[in-house]
Amino acid sequence: MSQSSPTGSFDVASLVEDVNLRRVGQYALVVFFLGFFLVPLETGIMTAIKTNESVARSLPFAPPASEGFTLGNIQFALEQLSGSFFNSLVMSIPATIGSVLFGSMAAYGLTMVNWRAQMGVLMLFVVGVFVPYQAVLVPLARFWNNIFPLARMIEPMVASIPFFQGYHADLVPLVITHIAYGIPICTILFRSYYQSLPNSLVEAGKIDGASITKIYRRIILPISKPMFGVVFIYQFTQIYNEFLFAFTLVTGSDAPAAPVTLVLPAIGASTSGIDFGIRMSAAFLAAVPTLILYVAFAEQFAKGLRTEA
Amino acid sequence: MARLTLDDVTKVYTDDGGGDIVAVEEISLDIDDGEFLVLVGPSGCGKSTTLRMMAGLETVTEGELRLEDRVLNDVSAQNRDIAMVFQSYALYPHKSVRGNMSFGLEESTDLPDDEIRQRVEETTDMLGISDLLDRNPGQLSGGQQQRVALGRAIVRDPEVFLMDEPLSNLDAKLRAEMRTELQRLQEELGVTTIYVTHDQTEAMTMGDRVAVLDDGELQQVGTPLDCYHRPNNLFVAGFIGEPSMNFFDGSLSGDIFRGDGFDYPLSDATRDQIGDASDLTLGIRPEDIEVGERRSGDRTFDAEVVVVEPQGNENTVHLRFAEGGEGARFTATTTGRSRVESGDRTTVSFPEDAIHLFDGETGNALKNRELPSNRAIGAYISD
Repeated sequence: MSQSSPTGSFDVASLVEDVNLRRVGQYALVVFFLGFFLVPLETGIMTAIKTNESVARSLPFAPPASEGFTLGNIQFALEQLSGSFFNSLVMSIPATIGSVLFGSMAAYGLTMVNWRAQMGVLMLFVVGVFVPYQAVLVPLARFWNNIFPLARMIEPMVASIPFFQGYHADLVPLVITHIAYGIPICTILFRSYYQSLPNSLVEAGKIDGASITKIYRRIILPISKPMFGVVFIYQFTQIYNEFLFAFTLVTGSDAPAAPVTLVLPAIGASTSGIDFGIRMSAAFLAAVPTLILYVAFAEQFAKGLRTEA
Repeated sequence: MARLTLDDVTKVYTDDGGGDIVAVEEISLDIDDGEFLVLVGPSGCGKSTTLRMMAGLETVTEGELRLEDRVLNDVSAQNRDIAMVFQSYALYPHKSVRGNMSFGLEESTDLPDDEIRQRVEETTDMLGISDLLDRNPGQLSGGQQQRVALGRAIVRDPEVFLMDEPLSNLDAKLRAEMRTELQRLQEELGVTTIYVTHDQTEAMTMGDRVAVLDDGELQQVGTPLDCYHRPNNLFVAGFIGEPSMNFFDGSLSGDIFRGDGFDYPLSDATRDQIGDASDLTLGIRPEDIEVGERRSGDRTFDAEVVVVEPQGNENTVHLRFAEGGEGARFTATTTGRSRVESGDRTTVSFPEDAIHLFDGETGNALKNRELPSNRAIGAYISD
């Protein structure tokens, strides 16, 4: 790295000196990668606001000509997706909160409380991270449809909640499945954080007369706030974007309870061909919730990553 | 406030290979109501483990731990009514000073909120940290954190205080200040206190009694001056006192102790105390060695000054016997005004009433120094 003169005054000579091949190369690389990542994005946005005709005629990344510009794609995609947005959020938010909270509790119990056979249980959690989704799809579907048809059982109850319809009951098995599948990875993430906390905090709590659950609620839980930020974002993104479980348990894109990831592939496809403008608009809209989350929690996220490292 | 009793308390850990590691072996202690007992020893001697067993953070493998007549072995840490100050302070980082101090009262008592508030404020007043009540631990200096940790223990008004090297993270000046402050507080509150430290200065200055531990075993329990002047064995003699006692290995032939580079004649009275041990270790404290005062007699030897460490009020002089090998070094302390320099040839005298003799094999004390029948010292030494 170059060094400016210690007095802080502007020194032209040193500036000229700094322009060497190495620096030029560095900047060239930066510009290249900027383009590499931004051009597809720009192309996507441009496609989203072009009419289907304009998409076919103009270069993919060129802005639309005056008669080729439209907001109709976005409007159409929003109409198509609005129901599934609600479904997706109804599914992801409780599933995320559930898996993160249970993961944190399990990590606390496995890291900061001493009991026998703790290592064996931890191994089970680690194994849980590596169970492939594909292997459990069929048993999962059979369980929720034939052995324990929870969705059918609670349908009337769900229908009586304001803003909800009976078919939203189909999402409940999905939520439970996501919680169960998310707990192992959340536990492992929290565990590494809890291992870095001094054990004397728990000991001080014990001596102050607090029970194990009180120590969790009043000491450990508030301290792990930054880690909650990280795991929450990670887990929400995972669950919101998940396709296989949703596809297995809710079945098709035409099901009323279908989340965004199920509906997305079907949008803009018809017998007359694929409407790229609509597809692109829908894809951007689908990404909006995760983007909002990242922006909203950016500070917590950075803090959490820092504390973990 | 209560009396704490340890009866043959033992702690055994099982290592990964299934072997047993004895961390604390059959320690028996009787700590009186309101007493300040210091547990001292080198790192790894089991003093912290002993303290943690008292706190309920470690289980007792064997033996019995009692508070008054209540057996504590199976009582959880939450129900022991004992407060502890940790070496790292272990303050709750997300709570204010007030929150840190009231947490224990909220969890362990049914006191109403305003009563807790009042107790916290009284305690902070006593410690002079009332202006810090709404700060978080992260905003406090080390000394302030230390006071808060202390306050967290005091506010609960427990039966027993346990302190695990509470001053070791402070700088030297603050540590000396807190030492007297802690003593004052303990005296004022009159709570039975067990204080763990590896620092022999703290052990000497703070405790009513000192318990010296080594390798999981209790070496000696007594008043600080007792341990200083009448050590039970070589370990205690070497551990208590700074700079530490000089030891010379040697053997007895007739009435003469033959060390490396010097022969030391023993009087009949001393000879009688030794019994039939032949391998001996002679010990003498640095301040008892008389340097440079040429005295007639056969307990004076020629020596060479190797290094002088001036400390202002006194000098620590490292010496070597003129006739001894390179290894036979020892230290003496002289007054700060005496003029000795490295390379000087001088004489050293070991007065016979100041020497200790230890069994060379077991390390047990055979003869301790004689003390003048001075009431001032005698008052601190129990018989």
